[in-house]
Amino acid sequence: MRQPPEVLPSSIPVPEAVLRSSSYVWYYCQRAAHAIPGMRYVVSYVRKSHQDDPYRTLFELFLIIYGIIYFFRKPRKQGEQAAPKLSEREVEALLDEWEPEPIAQQNIKLEWRAKSTPVLMGNSSAPTRVNLTRDEGRESYSDVLNCASTSFLQISSDPEFVKAAKDTIHQYGVGACGPAGFYGNQDVHSELEYNLARFFGTERAVLYGQDFCIAASVIPAFTKRGDVIVADDRVNVALQNALQLSRSTVYYYNHNDMEALEELLEQLQERELNEKLPSLPRKFIVTEGLFQNLGDIPDLPRLVELKRKYKYRLLVDETFSLGVLGANGRGIAEYYNMKRDASVDITIGSLAVALGSSGGFVLGDNVMSMHQRIGSHAYTFSAALPAFAVTTASRVLDHLEHDNSAVQKLRSLSQLMHQLFIDDSELSPYIEVTSSKESSILHFRLTDEYRSRVFHTTEESLFQELSAMHAKNLSEKYIEGCEREEKLLQRIVDMALKEHKVLLTRNTFVLKHETLPVTPSLKLCCSAKMTEDELRSACESVKSAVLACTSE
Amino acid sequence: MSSISNTKVPLFGPAKQSVEHKKNNEFGPLTSDEYLYQVHSRNGEPLRDPVLDAPPYYVVVITYLNYLILIILGHIHDYLGMTFQKEKHRELLEKDGLAPWFSKFESFYVRRLKLRIDDCFSRPTTGVPGRFITCIDRISHDLNSYYTHPGTTTMCLNLSSYNYLGFAQSEGKCTDNAIASVDKYGLTAGGPRAQAGTSDLHLETEKLVARFVGKEDAMVFSMGYSTNANFFNSILDSKCLVISDELNHTSIRTGVRLSGTAVKAFKHNDMEALEKLIKEQIVQGQPKTHRPWKKILICVEGLFSMEGTMCNLPKLIELKNKYKCYLFVDEAHSIGAIGPQGRGVCDYFGINPSEVDIMMGTFTKSFGAAGGYIAADKKVIDKLRCDLTIPNYGESVPAPILAQTSASLRIITGELNPGEGLERLQRIAFNSRYLRLALQRLGFIVYGIADSPVVPMLLYAPSKMPAFSRMMLQRKIAVVVVAYPATPLIESRVRFCVSAALTKEDIDYLLRHVNEVGEKLFLKVSTGKAGGSLDGKPPRWDIEEVIRRTPSDCKDDKYFLI
Repeated sequence: MRQPPEVLPSSIPVPEAVLRSSSYVWYYCQRAAHAIPGMRYVVSYVRKSHQDDPYRTLFELFLIIYGIIYFFRKPRKQGEQAAPKLSEREVEALLDEWEPEPIAQQNIKLEWRAKSTPVLMGNSSAPTRVNLTRDEGRESYSDVLNCASTSFLQISSDPEFVKAAKDTIHQYGVGACGPAGFYGNQDVHSELEYNLARFFGTERAVLYGQDFCIAASVIPAFTKRGDVIVADDRVNVALQNALQLSRSTVYYYNHNDMEALEELLEQLQERELNEKLPSLPRKFIVTEGLFQNLGDIPDLPRLVELKRKYKYRLLVDETFSLGVLGANGRGIAEYYNMKRDASVDITIGSLAVALGSSGGFVLGDNVMSMHQRIGSHAYTFSAALPAFAVTTASRVLDHLEHDNSAVQKLRSLSQLMHQLFIDDSELSPYIEVTSSKESSILHFRLTDEYRSRVFHTTEESLFQELSAMHAKNLSEKYIEGCEREEKLLQRIVDMALKEHKVLLTRNTFVLKHETLPVTPSLKLCCSAKMTEDELRSACESVKSAVLACTSE
Repeated sequence: MSSISNTKVPLFGPAKQSVEHKKNNEFGPLTSDEYLYQVHSRNGEPLRDPVLDAPPYYVVVITYLNYLILIILGHIHDYLGMTFQKEKHRELLEKDGLAPWFSKFESFYVRRLKLRIDDCFSRPTTGVPGRFITCIDRISHDLNSYYTHPGTTTMCLNLSSYNYLGFAQSEGKCTDNAIASVDKYGLTAGGPRAQAGTSDLHLETEKLVARFVGKEDAMVFSMGYSTNANFFNSILDSKCLVISDELNHTSIRTGVRLSGTAVKAFKHNDMEALEKLIKEQIVQGQPKTHRPWKKILICVEGLFSMEGTMCNLPKLIELKNKYKCYLFVDEAHSIGAIGPQGRGVCDYFGINPSEVDIMMGTFTKSFGAAGGYIAADKKVIDKLRCDLTIPNYGESVPAPILAQTSASLRIITGELNPGEGLERLQRIAFNSRYLRLALQRLGFIVYGIADSPVVPMLLYAPSKMPAFSRMMLQRKIAVVVVAYPATPLIESRVRFCVSAALTKEDIDYLLRHVNEVGEKLFLKVSTGKAGGSLDGKPPRWDIEEVIRRTPSDCKDDKYFLI
């Protein structure tokens, strides 16, 4: 037998047996390697490198073995510790021991809310009047003036619109029975999308089944980790949910404070310049057209100026402002005499509020709209809007296009309502109005002074308490001061209803879902079919109820 | 993508027909009493482990090759396009310092793969999506980047709509009820439920729903997706755990993600994996801190809409009781369509609904309406009324939808038009079983359990999807094709949604055409181990034989593996 080739230089003292066996292994490996085509080159490379530096072979061998071990090892997350080995009995004991919380804990302190929710009975004498019961039918009221309804324009309650909706049901049935991507989109849907885009002045519109879920679907469709969102710190819960789902870095600026916004944008721009990112992040400014909790209007021209300067896109949730603001109800863009397609990049609108139907929509350019149809979950994974809601909205838009009397009437009523409250010096120690005079909802809440005197809380203290609860992850979020304030507001609502037959409502909110500052407030809504006298007397009634309850 | 700004589908409206014709086109009259089948309750017996038929290796290889070619071509297309036709790809480039709406990488699948077959999706329709659906014809231009409409419509047999019990109708009790409700309550609900959006019709419908599904109380919402997407954040937080079937619907995933809850997924319908996971999670507790979870919620769907499989409810109940977890069942597709009385999976398995903690479902599918519901014990619902976001911030359900829902519910239970509900239930059961067994006998691979009205038939190669869809459209049959990401990459499929509105003859018509198209597209690849074979050999029955023998055979459980 031939002498095996020398593997290690003789200068290294290695036992003869090891040397011999490794030589044999190398020899047979080489022979096997020759059988595989192309292996020659690998062998000659290994041999050369071994000749130059024998230790390198050892090192590479070690690396290969480590690589194999690493590859087959179970992946473990960073920071994760190995699970301790438990015996069968210990596992059983742990399983026995575990006691979950109940799926939902009832809180008796919150029950008054359910009792005070009005149940409308239908068949009312006029669109502004309702018959209602409360507390499972124990209280009943008839011919009450409805100052809590959000269908402000009341166009769809006209007989011709009702008849048209009935005709649609006779032609299309009720449900669409499928998502938009699978035969759920009917000709009427396309028609409405076209009408919406034309009416509000954008390239395209996309319809959704419900207004509340739109933001939480649209924003995540366009954002990913590393993108930047700058939002007003009083945005509604729908937007708060959306920001949470967006995966982006979210910054807040003080409510409607454009100086603060500019300062923030300036800082962010500097930071971005320093960071040298691999690609440009998408950047959004998020705000509302008419704030759901406060009823005021942001300074759109300034926002547009800032977004152009700092290269942001602007998203405006116009759930409450479309149909209300602007001479023809075209929303905040028309209110400031601006073109929508040149100022707002994403508009979220509702068909269920002023337009008096149901569902919602998003306005924007072609590219964004096309992407939504694939990337926005609430659009792709949900059934299309029922045809009757679609045709109703289409007709309301047609009507608004050539007849803005309802919008104008609503505006004059809103201004009247606002004036009646603002001018009343008797009220000012107790309540403050936060909404703007164009808002068809009058938002008012207790003054800071009154709140701290009676409930010993302030807006800040409430928010701090709530944040602490969020941080502790309490299942039940309950703040005594806030609850007492809500109850006081409810007493005002009750009194207005019982003594004056006026239905207004608290601005309902759930502490659990609020991640931004919020204070209890009341909402008084007007609608275009009310007469001035009706509204005047309603306002007087509410005022007297406020005075009666706050001076208790 | 499209450079044409805001094109629209012309407004057709359904064709004028006599009431009699219209009724027949929306809901085919029963042709023989033999074409009915009464489902029996399983009396608590769990499902057997599913048998999945696998395609031959060459089909798998061809499918991967198919994707590979598409992807390589797509990248070449992208490269050339970005180099020579910049103006056509403006949406992918920075503009005025703004990042593009979506990146090149994110949108690759959509631009280069989906766009090629876009004509198979979003086909515009008009009129009622009943037994027949009226598709508006369109002509595709420039590789589906835009369409023109020649002004004609095609009436197709409808295998695409979720119209399980055939309540998508524009004549009859439900329609009358919906129309009457418009006069009484108007077209809009007027605000959130907790403010001024509740009417007595809401409460009445909720009571009906609760009674129907067998729970103490229920809540209704105006959109099914949103019901799930906004439910979990009210009962769960980051110290709770959701154990979720890997194939759960996006709405559940969104809802769970919004709640910030920890999520663990288990393999679809694998009860052993589930048990192992539950044990491990209870023992280990939360990651890092190892504190016990506050609560553990198991989330499954009653009937999985892409698979046609059902959750193994008896087994789930056993596990849930053993380990003190809670159970959430999404009955979006199963409510109305499954079970001897149409009351969903509990009814089908013969299990008391009180065993399931939270039952969710939609009215879009079996009831021909829209929206969703959540049913649970009274104290849970009372709590949810205070805590959920939608009743406090979002819109409420408009009256016609509630009226349609309550009328169709009462028809199913037999309170309205006694006998009609039962006929619908028996027809959908027969139709589903007939179509499923017939397809299996013809040699197609079909997923799902015997009684599922969702019948997914596997196509595999992505290029067979548009081919199948277009050939069926030529034959005046509307079908839905689905692929990745809704299914695993290679398991592209066509999904037939069976309806009680179809007659046995309609299904014969469908079978003859599927047989023909299937032969042309080389889709008959089953081995018969998942059903359809009588002798263990791959079934390749003759179509006439199938149509002759299957209607009576499909009533016998021995031909199915369930």
